[in-house]
Amino acid sequence: MASNEEKPAAAALTTAAVVAADKEKKSSWKDSIYNPRTGELLGRTASSWGLILLFYLVFYIFLAGMFALTMWVMLMTLDDYVPTYQDRVPHPGLVIIPHSLDIHVNKSDPKQYGHYIQDLETFLQRYNDTEQEKNELCPPGEFYDQEGGSMEKKACQFKRSLLSRCSGLSDTTFGYSEGEPCILLKLNRIIGLKPLGNPYINCTAKTDTPVQMQYFPREARIDKMYFPYYGKKAHESYAQPLVAVKLLLTKEDYNTELSIECRVEGCNMRNTDARDKFLGRVTFRVKVFE
Amino acid sequence: MFEMDGDGKGKKSKKEKKKERLEGMKKEMDIDDHEITIEELEMRYDTSIKKGLTSSFASQVLERDGPNALRPPKGTPEYVKFARQLAGGLQCLMWVAASICFIAFGIELARGNLASFDNLYLAITLISVVVVTGCFGYYQEFKSTNIIASFKNLVPQQALVIRDGQKNQINAVDLVVGDLVEIKGGDGVPADIRIIFAQGCKVDNSSLTGESEPQSKTPECTHENPLETRNIAFFSTTCLEGVANGIVINTGDRTIIGRIASLASGVGNEKTPIAIEIEHFVDIIASLAIAFGFTFFVVAMFIGYEFLEAMIFFMAIVVAYVPEGLLATVTVCLSLTAKRLARKNCVVKNLEAVETLGSTSVICSDKTGTLTQNRMTVAHLWFDNHVHAADTTEDQSGQSFDQSSETWRALARIAGLCNRAVFRPDQEGLPVPRRLVVGDASETALLKFTELTIGNIMVYRDRFNKVVEVPFNSTNKFQLSVHELEDPMDLRYLLVMKGAPERILERCSTILIKGQELSMDEHLKESFQTAQMDLGGLGERVLGFCYVYLNEKEFPRGYKFDSDEMNFTTSDLCFAGLISMIDPPRATVPDAVMKCRTAGIRVVMVTGDHPITARAIAANVGIISEGSETVEDIAIRKRIPVEQVNKSDARACVINGGQLKDMSSEDLDEALRSHPEMVFARTSPQQKLIIVESCQRLGSIVAVTGDGVNDSPALKKADIGIAMGIAGSDAAKNAADMILLDDNFASIVTGVEQGRLIFDNLKKSIAYTLTKNIPELTPYLIYITVSVPLPLGCITILFIELATDIYPSVSLAYEKAESDIMNLKPRNPRRDRLVNEALAAYSYFQIGAIQSFAGFTDYFSAMAQEGWYPLMCVGLRAHWENVHLQDMQDSYGQEWTFGQRLYQQYTCYTVFFVSIEICQISDVLIRKTRRLSVFQQGFFRNKVLVSAIVFQLLLGNLLCYCPGMPNIFNFMPIRVQWWFIPVPYGILIFVYDEIRKLGVRRNPGSWWDKELYY
Repeated sequence: MASNEEKPAAAALTTAAVVAADKEKKSSWKDSIYNPRTGELLGRTASSWGLILLFYLVFYIFLAGMFALTMWVMLMTLDDYVPTYQDRVPHPGLVIIPHSLDIHVNKSDPKQYGHYIQDLETFLQRYNDTEQEKNELCPPGEFYDQEGGSMEKKACQFKRSLLSRCSGLSDTTFGYSEGEPCILLKLNRIIGLKPLGNPYINCTAKTDTPVQMQYFPREARIDKMYFPYYGKKAHESYAQPLVAVKLLLTKEDYNTELSIECRVEGCNMRNTDARDKFLGRVTFRVKVFE
Repeated sequence: MFEMDGDGKGKKSKKEKKKERLEGMKKEMDIDDHEITIEELEMRYDTSIKKGLTSSFASQVLERDGPNALRPPKGTPEYVKFARQLAGGLQCLMWVAASICFIAFGIELARGNLASFDNLYLAITLISVVVVTGCFGYYQEFKSTNIIASFKNLVPQQALVIRDGQKNQINAVDLVVGDLVEIKGGDGVPADIRIIFAQGCKVDNSSLTGESEPQSKTPECTHENPLETRNIAFFSTTCLEGVANGIVINTGDRTIIGRIASLASGVGNEKTPIAIEIEHFVDIIASLAIAFGFTFFVVAMFIGYEFLEAMIFFMAIVVAYVPEGLLATVTVCLSLTAKRLARKNCVVKNLEAVETLGSTSVICSDKTGTLTQNRMTVAHLWFDNHVHAADTTEDQSGQSFDQSSETWRALARIAGLCNRAVFRPDQEGLPVPRRLVVGDASETALLKFTELTIGNIMVYRDRFNKVVEVPFNSTNKFQLSVHELEDPMDLRYLLVMKGAPERILERCSTILIKGQELSMDEHLKESFQTAQMDLGGLGERVLGFCYVYLNEKEFPRGYKFDSDEMNFTTSDLCFAGLISMIDPPRATVPDAVMKCRTAGIRVVMVTGDHPITARAIAANVGIISEGSETVEDIAIRKRIPVEQVNKSDARACVINGGQLKDMSSEDLDEALRSHPEMVFARTSPQQKLIIVESCQRLGSIVAVTGDGVNDSPALKKADIGIAMGIAGSDAAKNAADMILLDDNFASIVTGVEQGRLIFDNLKKSIAYTLTKNIPELTPYLIYITVSVPLPLGCITILFIELATDIYPSVSLAYEKAESDIMNLKPRNPRRDRLVNEALAAYSYFQIGAIQSFAGFTDYFSAMAQEGWYPLMCVGLRAHWENVHLQDMQDSYGQEWTFGQRLYQQYTCYTVFFVSIEICQISDVLIRKTRRLSVFQQGFFRNKVLVSAIVFQLLLGNLLCYCPGMPNIFNFMPIRVQWWFIPVPYGILIFVYDEIRKLGVRRNPGSWWDKELYY
């Protein structure tokens, strides 16, 4: 009879509730961490913990395996020489050496500006003439295309001596001791980049009276023969072209902070990006004390 | 959530105070105005039973006591209602998270780290989410409150009062204590009145006590209890017939009904089950968040971060655990169900109550007006020695009996003629059962019955000109009238009589059987007795009918009949038959009760009516099922004393108010536990409250249905109070959480079904929403520990939580039930939680983990393909985030400015976002079911879900490819192939979950089932 079945069910429902209520009364929060009666630690017995941890171990090993597999497949698709995409680096940044946007020089205190000189010197080590003589003497004014041929690409010479007064060879203080500091500018390396036009650097001081500047190499040209770049692996001896600018400061310019902006001009490289202030341009401040 | 524990004590003391107030209220019921003499009464209220009060004194008293109206229950101020919307469990979690964000932002600011505004944005977003959903919830409640308010009766009640010896019609609001008022049939009683004169006055007390029988009112004090005595008529009841005069003894809130109404406002509201579930869920989240945060705090310290930095990591992790979108999801899901219910005429006052019916395990139902129609109706007839059943359905759709018998015609004629009830005019358009009638309940029933069977009874009566009538009184217990016959040639008079069956039988010598007048023999008498007993046992009120044609010679035309002397034949009449009446159950109720039972819900009847009637209706609607016996039944069957009966043998039990008064709460609990079918009769409002409390003590979630003021305290106390929209009093509607606009008890079944469905679907929505918390959190953890460039940004997370994933999570609310939920037991509130450990573990550590792997695969791919090998990424963070480093070399020797690296980082955010989206599509598909295969459930059956997926993809594309996004919301237009990298993981999620479900279905009760079924 259906009615007979229902009755114990209804009774069971209520008794279950009562039992649960009693249990709740007896158990305290301590039991939820370790229950000495059942041997439960955090609500599970040792074997229960073992099983569940084993389950998760297997689960995660499987997942890690799948991760490793997909990563391996992805890595297989990569080229060692050229990145798959260059979506974020269509234009090179312009960077100055010394690596500081606020250059403060006390021309009578060599210790004070010593670290700038150190920075420049270290950077120019690669451009030592002895080093560069190993590289090719390329025809200027045209791209040094090396498509096809071996994977190993040749680099064009950029001798430190090209920077003449800013090479640090004749004047080891790069003009800092005379209050006419040299700043080196370099375009960031970007694989395969070929500028359209004839790029050169132009610096302007944001002051009322124009500041005299001297560029090395002459006319601040960046020669096309240094493009394109073939990447770290293929183009190991690549020396990226530099432009040095020597600020010919006069006494009137001392003790004031000069804001100087340098841009790459004469080619299609972007130098007016509103967000990235280092794309094809760089702004830095110089202050020289006597 | 921390605050909540704190004010537990405060609440308790408040409760105690309320209890004291309740006790006080019970004592206040002691009034003695009914016991003192009229003279004392006049003295007490400075009034006169002839002239009433003087107008000037009355206005003074009015000034002192205030108007005679029930003060609307102190409505919660609107700002409190709004504040309540901001203080739920989830809301508290979000407040805490927001303040942590502010603290973290403050620390960052103090350290001079101006770049990081993420924490501030996060805090502002969290607060706006709480406020916006709060506004939404508030608006929903406001709307349903308006629906309910529109039901209020706006017509002011009038009262006939005698002041300065003059009769005046005034607004009942202006009545004062001591006023002399007159009431007549059809009027509402305008205040609590001590009757000083009455003539055939009967009052319907059903709204106050639940009695369906009208109570007669007389000037004599018959009982010391003011509720039982006959010489007090109560405010808000209606006078059905007769006239009475009385002195107003209480007005406004001091009336009995006012006290019951304030009793209701003294009862605390119970927390809804869903609120409890959400708090439990918040506890789980909070403890997981703190555990996680602390672990990584320790790890960060170990790695060598500064204390403050590690502290900020800790805070960020805790905050990342907050499911920002969940609050909106839950609110929208609940209001969707509320809307669905509203379409089925259930209006929910409080959104959370939507689910409560689904958890309900006991329904305590009032009888009159809820289970029954609150309308006396002819149920059975006995003539020709047979019982015939009449049609009691509300719309006259039921079967009628054979009306060809001659006896029936005679019986119908008596019922039609010996009847003083009349229809109110201008109701021809209305169906008969709904027409208004002036007259007492049983006469009304007979009037409607004859109108339906004979047709146009008023014209019929006119054809039989009434010569004289003797109205019913309590001493002779019959009513008779003498009529001329319609045939003008037949000059006999017809005497028709109805009354208590025994009294009628005494006066009869013959009986009409099949149109033949037979002499009354013992055999017929016996069958009359059985019929009468049977019908009485059904809780029906039985009336006997007889007639006689008066002798033409003895009583010629123009004979002076005298109703006082009764100078005519009143014996040796011819018995025609019995008609019995009952307030019949609503047509939909038995079926609804049955459905409740199959759904494992116990239906308990709690009524103010008499035990026999209560029991009969209970048996009729299935609250007491066929074959169930009470202890008394068993005693009679076995012929043993009641004490010897084993109580557990009795399934059914009828307890009346008197017995209940002597029972301790343990006895009551025991009775409720041992008898599955319970009926409580003659209960007072307080006792209803006690019964509800007892059910709650037994761990049940209790729904109370009712319509009267007497139900309102119980409605308030219940986990969900359900009031009737049409028949319900304002007090009941105010105390209730849900209102049935069509008074249809069957709507409760719909409510249960929808409540259960939303509980299941909320579970799915929450599981879906929680899952993505892990892929949102792991990037940060990896960022801290392995120092890779940040894979997923704060704004992106907010877009996932509050934009793309909201619609899919809400669409799960449209999912159909997986199994026949109405055949399952109600959930056990202690065991079947909304969010249990299995759900959290499965979502977080399994599906969430797969999603994280998908995200990192895509992240590392995007990095590698743009020039940053995975191994190079490790430990890259310090340089990557160095603002001054403008020529950072990637794996191919290219040099990147900071700006370029930042866009690359945004690209990573976007691919991670896309990975989570792709996996979430898979996730929403698997969440369609918890046990069944998705193929069994139907892939495309939930159209909303399909459109949600389309929406999610479109929005994802819009975010990625809309110009301007990179700089506003940090989304980059990514390579198309990066959308496909997470696809294998999406497939893995789907396949894995199908395997899980298969295991759960195949091996119920196994380890797999226990650990992986949520």
